[in-house]
Amino acid sequence: MQRREALRLLAATAALPILSRDAFSLFREVHQQLAEAPALKTLNPHQNATVTAISELIVPQTDTPGAKAVRVNEFIDLILTEWYEGDEKARFLAGLDDVDLRSRDVFGKDFIGCSEKQQVQILSSLDEELAGIRQPMDLHREGRFAPTEKQFFYMMKRLTLVGYYTSQAGFEQELHEQIIPSSHAGCVPVEEEAAK
Amino acid sequence: MPTKVYDAIVVGSGITGGWAAKELSEKGLETLVLEAGRPIDPDTDYVEHVPVWEKRFRGLGDRKRFNDDQPIQQTCSGVDEWNCKFFVNDRENPYTTDPDKPFLWIRGRHVGGRSIMWGRQSYRWSDLDFEANLREGIAIDWPIRYQDIAPWYDYVEDFIGVTGQAEGLPQLPDGKFLPPMELTCAELAVKDAIAKSFPGDRMMTIGRAAVLTKRHRGRAACHYCGPCSRGCITRSYFSSLNSTLPAAQATGKVTIRPHSVVHSVIFDSNTRKAAGVRVIDGQTREALEFRGHILFLCASALESARILLNSSTTEFPNGLANSSGELGHNLMDHCMGGGATGLIPGHEDNIALGHRPNGIYVPRFRNVKQKHSGLLRGYGFQGGGSRQNWERGAWMTGFGADFKRMLSRPGPWMFTFYGFGECLPNRENYIELDKEKADAWGIPALKIHCSWRENERALLHDMTVTASEMLSAAGAKQVEPFLEDNAPGLTIHEMGTARMGRDPKNSVLNAHNQAHDVKNLFVTDGACMTSSACVNPSLTYMALTARACDFAVDQMKRGEL
Repeated sequence: MQRREALRLLAATAALPILSRDAFSLFREVHQQLAEAPALKTLNPHQNATVTAISELIVPQTDTPGAKAVRVNEFIDLILTEWYEGDEKARFLAGLDDVDLRSRDVFGKDFIGCSEKQQVQILSSLDEELAGIRQPMDLHREGRFAPTEKQFFYMMKRLTLVGYYTSQAGFEQELHEQIIPSSHAGCVPVEEEAAK
Repeated sequence: MPTKVYDAIVVGSGITGGWAAKELSEKGLETLVLEAGRPIDPDTDYVEHVPVWEKRFRGLGDRKRFNDDQPIQQTCSGVDEWNCKFFVNDRENPYTTDPDKPFLWIRGRHVGGRSIMWGRQSYRWSDLDFEANLREGIAIDWPIRYQDIAPWYDYVEDFIGVTGQAEGLPQLPDGKFLPPMELTCAELAVKDAIAKSFPGDRMMTIGRAAVLTKRHRGRAACHYCGPCSRGCITRSYFSSLNSTLPAAQATGKVTIRPHSVVHSVIFDSNTRKAAGVRVIDGQTREALEFRGHILFLCASALESARILLNSSTTEFPNGLANSSGELGHNLMDHCMGGGATGLIPGHEDNIALGHRPNGIYVPRFRNVKQKHSGLLRGYGFQGGGSRQNWERGAWMTGFGADFKRMLSRPGPWMFTFYGFGECLPNRENYIELDKEKADAWGIPALKIHCSWRENERALLHDMTVTASEMLSAAGAKQVEPFLEDNAPGLTIHEMGTARMGRDPKNSVLNAHNQAHDVKNLFVTDGACMTSSACVNPSLTYMALTARACDFAVDQMKRGEL
């Protein structure tokens, strides 16, 4: 586990702000992609709506696209269909059901029928429960997906972040990353980086 | 039609096979290179610039296919969704172990071999290493010393290009370095703290790596894209495919034949020399023979020994060139995975730019100036310090716009020391042919018997202590020692299965990598190693190969072979 982290460190991430396309063309591209969305293989329409809503609450649209715009829900459907083992998939889907149980219990309706404020309240309680069982060492863990993490909200948050930051918009627009860096240096002021 | 007889046959096209092909052909020998796997076309096979969003599983890898086809290969952290095609299919390439003694054999079978995916760390040995067996009465003495190999280190480094910082350390001799890569802010801080807290004992330097920091011999400087193990279209790191094989082919005297799985060596009882090799065509499964005047085995420590074990004759019933009985024995791999991590406070206004394909190095300090009571030999640390990226978010509380804004910015500086320790040669760590199992080409599989012993365990434990000491000295927060339970093999530095020595009674090869028993047979990959030192071995394999080629051609000219 630690070696993965060590190796990841050797290829440390550095954010390099060069916008390769303007916001308008990105919006158009995202819009086209949404229109061509393929059928989901595991999530039913209700589950998909719930996953989409939670992912957008975790990484919302700001001055850059959010999780919904880059179709994190489709990435999560792929993981559920082709990557997770059966028990992991069952745990994730049971976690989705539990989100509805919680929202019906508190607000009398399914999660997707709740107001955004109510949805944030549900997610906050899930997030606090996760914080309660988190170990200090967790911050040192490997960068790759840790399949042993069993909590639904951990899985959901992790998949949302992976799906978002490895999308083209997440990589280029949000992280300002480049495949081939415009420069390299060991230790420079952050301003120098931001000025590029 | 009479069978064509090549001047030389080289088995394998990786780190050492590429060097043998270059040296032998440049000295005028018509050379056949036999490679078990497929050809690699850099234009289509190199994938270092393929964006993560074009990968189906976004870099997580196709887990179910990994579990089916590469359950062993995927244990290597260098295997990913991009480069897994450079690692073997475990179902086609089986081997066995004792039930309670796992060995992880990580392999590449294609033109270029593991030189395409290797870690590129390149360090010289010193006489501290070459004299260790003799000094401690362990195994047998090396038949060479640093002065024998030093000019060949120069020769090899000058060709491949090694970035590094000269430090004047007796235990880690300086090489002919290209300009060093830069340390990050956290690394500079830890380096200073080590210098203050452990003067004259421990120190830190930038890693020495076979990566070009400026244009060198027609190859471009590194552009810091990061994932070298997926290939390099600018040929900026050393691989045989990027460097030695093109030089060999430029002579017009080399034939590289892919899909050529060497089954065994043909031994001529009359001349008592190797006459050539038997080959199974990897695609047609046709049995073929190739003839040559001299034979270089450069197929990797385990594969070269396997070929010789599978080449028994009436004269050599236990494997060719094995009158000593040492063939297949004394298997070593570096013990890795003791160390520590910690967060380095401060430096929040600073950052590193680009993806440096290199880390730090803490040269061996145990048993260098004074003898350590609890353990023999020593270890070095690799690793480094960088700012955490968005991945930290999965382990943090929070979500929403502020959380997103925070994750797009660099996180705290995290530092890792990761130890690599010397493995003692032990006759009971050995390989043999498994009579019950064969690979996809019908060649007997290996049965590998190997485990860590007391000294390797002591080194691993000591790594956790000294790494934590250094991080604490640097004022690191949340210092966490770790001690991984890595099976032998996973370091991918396997060596020792046809060791060099002075005495034919207890060694397979002489001081020039020439088989004591079969004088036109040379083995120059990791199999030849008499001890393991603690530094990454590939540079030494390259130097020994070039040196052996020089000797072999000289002997041929004298009519000795």
